Amino acid sequence: MDKNGTLLSVQNLYLYYKTRKGLVQAVDDVNMELKRGETLAVVGESGCGKSSLARAIIRLLPRNVGKYSGKIILDNVDTMKLNEEEFRKQVRWKRISMVFQGAQNSLNPVLKVGYQIAEVLMLHLNMSKSRALEEAKKYLRFVGIHEAFVDRYPFELSGGMKQRVMIAMSLITNPDIIILDEPPSALDVITQANIMNLLKKLKKERNFSYIFITHDMALASELADKVAIMYAGEIVEIAPSEVFYSEPMHPYAKGLIGSVPTLRSEKELKSIPGSPPSLFNPPKGCRFHPRCPHADDRCSEKNPPTIELKDGHLVKCWLYVR
Amino acid sequence: MNSLLKVENLKKWFEIKKGLFSPTLYVRAVDGVSFQLLSGEAISLVGESGSGKTTLGKTILRLYEPTSGKLYFEGKDITHLDDKNSLWYRRETALIQQDPFGALAPHFTIYRILEEPLIIHGFKDKRERRELVYRALREVRLVPEEDFAHKYPHMLSGGQMQRVAVARAIILRPKLIIADEPVSMLDASVRVEILNLLHELQNRNKISFIYITHDLATTRYFSEWIFIMYAGHIVEKARTKELLKKPLHPYTKALLAAIPDPDPENRKQFRDVPPGEPPSLVNPPPGCRFAPRCPYATDVCRKEPPEIEVEKEHWVKCWLYKES
Repeated sequence: MDKNGTLLSVQNLYLYYKTRKGLVQAVDDVNMELKRGETLAVVGESGCGKSSLARAIIRLLPRNVGKYSGKIILDNVDTMKLNEEEFRKQVRWKRISMVFQGAQNSLNPVLKVGYQIAEVLMLHLNMSKSRALEEAKKYLRFVGIHEAFVDRYPFELSGGMKQRVMIAMSLITNPDIIILDEPPSALDVITQANIMNLLKKLKKERNFSYIFITHDMALASELADKVAIMYAGEIVEIAPSEVFYSEPMHPYAKGLIGSVPTLRSEKELKSIPGSPPSLFNPPKGCRFHPRCPHADDRCSEKNPPTIELKDGHLVKCWLYVR
Repeated sequence: MNSLLKVENLKKWFEIKKGLFSPTLYVRAVDGVSFQLLSGEAISLVGESGSGKTTLGKTILRLYEPTSGKLYFEGKDITHLDDKNSLWYRRETALIQQDPFGALAPHFTIYRILEEPLIIHGFKDKRERRELVYRALREVRLVPEEDFAHKYPHMLSGGQMQRVAVARAIILRPKLIIADEPVSMLDASVRVEILNLLHELQNRNKISFIYITHDLATTRYFSEWIFIMYAGHIVEKARTKELLKKPLHPYTKALLAAIPDPDPENRKQFRDVPPGEPPSLVNPPPGCRFAPRCPYATDVCRKEPPEIEVEKEHWVKCWLYKES
């Protein structure tokens, strides 16, 4: 860790995919930082590149990568310089783990859940099977499932329990960072609240850092110390939660907050006209300008710079450039 | 206002046959539901997945045959309409489904998709059909309508596809539309547009709506009534504002407590929600179905609670509110 407590620093990260139709610019010059024990929520609509950002950080990439560059500095080591073998041995799951989207389908249906959790330890820490299974039991209890479930198959578990198993798998190696990719989105609201309670408890007790990927602005506030808004492959705003939720600055972030229905306060819902651009051929200049109420000539010509408004409040918009 | 739809002790059970000699089991998806819908009103039917809300919607539309109970539409008994006599009812009602990608035939143009119900219901004049198709497209604001009419579903965005589904639902000017999670597959910024559109259609064309959703937060922008469903029962019915302000049933309270509003304070506190998950509908617990998870449960909860009108137009199915 460096002196101001930064655990992970992502600098000028790019991830493009090659397809028959051309390059998909899924992650385009992304910069962000994460401190130990801190949670960063990455919020964006479907297709904005937020899951690609997660996969770029943990380096789980499809075959059709067209461009993958930048720096991902974990504790002063640039993991981008490690080869695949080194990355697998030193970083993936040991230091950074992930809870995948759709826990329902991420477990192997023909293996007992206990074995699936234990396998992580057998592979990454060379633990013996019997010891790994004991650990698996311990972690099942830890996430609120009776240890007898080590011998069950995934179909015998409810959706919420499968989600808990996925969480147990992600924390059993005691990593520094856990990436949560839309963890409870397919669950019922009460089950979802239970899972969020579990994640809050883990954060408090074990001081994990989370990168929480979600499309849900309200859910993001359940965990986020810091919010990053992603639009069309770029991060357009990052701010501490207190600042962001009371005063979002980017027109897209404002629109997104304005479209969230609330239960406890009366407000009029607004929508953002149009729909997000294709990542094959994003608009020139600011990628949000075709939908932006404040757009002028500058916005359609040049991509705005990211400027710091206040401590840790970054926004990528011409409105704030003097 | 007159009663449009009346539902009396409606049940829909699905049979599961395991083997030749094992006893037949039933999934009691809807298990004794009663309510009334006035014309022009909108009801939100809120429940978790597996609570029976979609089955209730489809049974009301007579896409499923009710197991028992009664259904009346404008006073007419429609509980057991056969195919021959149901065409008029099909014209008076419509369904908007959750997944617009699956609901529109991919090899039909938008024009053909919207023309289909007109052909089925005997609109013989081609020019009239064209006018109605274009009118429906304008009403859902897919303009210029001539352009959209000749596209195929895959050329549209998710929000636009859902607009086509809405256009198809309103083209015959039905009196009742059941919208089953119409926005849950759409992005936040598009969701609002569709909800506002549905609300506008309800007001302008005096269409009654049953809005089926798991998302309590969207209901207040849409409906006069909220009905809360749990494991095949409706456990609470009240006007929207009243229910959100003063939930009575322990399940409704838990549901409200579980939903976050965007607020940075959220991360500092735990949510007060009951553990566990809804019961199996094959073998539900006796009496109140929420009792196994309910913090207030007592012995009396093993008997089915009555529906009690605690305040005017606020009903709850819970023993806590029974005055002895």
